[in-house]
Amino acid sequence: MKTPLRIVALAVSAALSTASMSAHAQTTLTVLSGGSQNMVDYVTDYLGPLFEKQNAGVKVVVVGVGPDDAGSQKILEKLQAQKGAATWDVDVIVPNQQKTGEMANAGLLLKYRDSIATGKYAVSQSSKQALGVNVDGYVMPMFESQTAMAYNPDLVKSPPSSYDELRAFVTKNPKQFGYNGLKNGMSGVAFVVGWMYAYGGNATALQQGPYDAAGKASSGWNKAYADLKVFNQSVTFTPGNAGTLDMLNRGEIAMGPVWVDMFYTWKADGRLSPSLKLKLLSPGMPGQPYYYAIPAKAKNADLAKKFIALATSPAVQAEGIVKRFNWYPGIDANAVKPALDPKVWANLFTDISPADLAKNGKPFPIAPFFTDLREQYEKQVGN
Amino acid sequence: MQKRSSYPLALLLLSPALLMVGLLFIYPLGYSLSYAFRNEKSATWDLSNFEKAFSLYGNDIVYTLVILVMATTLTGLFALAIGGYLTLGENKRAVSFLRWLYRWPLFIPMVVAGQLMRTFLAKNGMLNNALMSLGILDPINAMSMLDWRGVVITFVWKQLPFAALLISGAMASMDRSMIEAARNLGASRLRALVEIVIPQIKATLLVALILSFVTMLSALSVPMMIIAGSPTMITVDMAWRVNSYGDYGVANALGFISCAMSGVVAWFYLRHSVREQTATR
Repeated sequence: MKTPLRIVALAVSAALSTASMSAHAQTTLTVLSGGSQNMVDYVTDYLGPLFEKQNAGVKVVVVGVGPDDAGSQKILEKLQAQKGAATWDVDVIVPNQQKTGEMANAGLLLKYRDSIATGKYAVSQSSKQALGVNVDGYVMPMFESQTAMAYNPDLVKSPPSSYDELRAFVTKNPKQFGYNGLKNGMSGVAFVVGWMYAYGGNATALQQGPYDAAGKASSGWNKAYADLKVFNQSVTFTPGNAGTLDMLNRGEIAMGPVWVDMFYTWKADGRLSPSLKLKLLSPGMPGQPYYYAIPAKAKNADLAKKFIALATSPAVQAEGIVKRFNWYPGIDANAVKPALDPKVWANLFTDISPADLAKNGKPFPIAPFFTDLREQYEKQVGN
Repeated sequence: MQKRSSYPLALLLLSPALLMVGLLFIYPLGYSLSYAFRNEKSATWDLSNFEKAFSLYGNDIVYTLVILVMATTLTGLFALAIGGYLTLGENKRAVSFLRWLYRWPLFIPMVVAGQLMRTFLAKNGMLNNALMSLGILDPINAMSMLDWRGVVITFVWKQLPFAALLISGAMASMDRSMIEAARNLGASRLRALVEIVIPQIKATLLVALILSFVTMLSALSVPMMIIAGSPTMITVDMAWRVNSYGDYGVANALGFISCAMSGVVAWFYLRHSVREQTATR
């Protein structure tokens, strides 16, 4: 009588203690991700589970804060708000270039790159400079992405290959070209930046500096914006990066600037007509990386390093970034290529050849010019 | 004597409420209004935020005003029509059907209304598809109404039941003998509405319109969902300044401008109600 009772008591206490032990062992790695929903999906569906499998007792929680500066601004504000605290409750952040630069300048980031094994793969220019700000050592690029013109070959027989040809096309076919303006996502911003590279008259300075506050008042800019204002009369405005793809797919527009990765992913998911194609306009359209960074006082900094090391390993970059999500790799392409089926690698360059990409894939302007450029658009084109 | 001694007590009893209002409402409002004049760069007080607001969003300010005036006017007209029919309608079944129907949008949140209209008014949306299948519209001529028209339609659709509820309530509580007298003397229903009913519910109409105006002025979701690109309404610009640039100065300046808009409307209202009070005295 006594013994069974004792067994029950023992069993209960054992169960309780294991339950409390496992509750203790559970560490949560908090990831704040800027960018579109596909970037959050990437961590939720692929990277997070992979990391959890390799690290028992770790749970990866990812929070999406939204695309463009607005999203990454939220990360910046969150870190700033915790500045006085001993530890911060965010372990890994995925901010855009502009805000990464601001965070690095404000001392909110941890210099970690050289302490992880994959640090040596960060070879691109963008892993050292973010829109003119030195971020060397603070970041690992998650991926590189590129904007390009998507078009419907059923409606556009000979697609324009430059901004000049696009203008001619729009004059002939009003409202057939659509983009998402300046406030509704980066593909629209990228289109405007490309326009300014083509017509603003100081494309090299925009991309490489030095910054000159007089640039925004130059006659080149004024002329370019005046032309863009006229051009805008004959375009359709779409409600966002996804909105442009939606309208293309429904045939409401025949052409529009999109993110290459979103384009391929939507196509693979069957959300876009398989006949749609891409073209990179000359003299160039911008692309951008997103970065992995660690806040200066992250609670689980070591775990965060481990997470980023996994995320930037050639195997994960090949399988996750290139194969599943159609981005260009963030780390050295020569390290990624051997890990991939050559056919998958070739898919990435179906419409845009590596040569095109090298020639017409541009960075966004350096930060102060970029701010001027957006504000002048609002002033001279939007208003 | 007695009166004077109870005064501090009353103040004491009121103070928690006053403190709450002061801390949670007046202080933040005053703060954001005054910081519209703050130049953070030079740490001085000037009009630079307003200059920037007008140079970037001057069109949007005018656009907002035009949309609001249009939407408010239409809301008023339709609300009067609904209220009028509920009061003067003779077909019992139609009246009760209308009474049952018109309130529905009242229970739909602004953001859902925006989403509804977005699918309804798009180029290949429900409205155009219906018109096309009826043969009224050629597919080639179909156009999207997702611009100022979409916003006006959504606002009117959303605010109409609210205004109609107030107005029809006021109409229902009116003394009906005058309407009946006018009808007996041969006035048409329209004439009875315009000459007998509306003058008596003017104050309620004004309140309904002012509240609708202010509600629409503050809506962010509807213009954000319906208007792609620019021009857009100033609420969207405020959100944009704060979210993308962390630029509270210009956002506060825009907020000041929208407060000024509702202030003008409120002034009309106050002037009207003061005049009415002195008249009744």
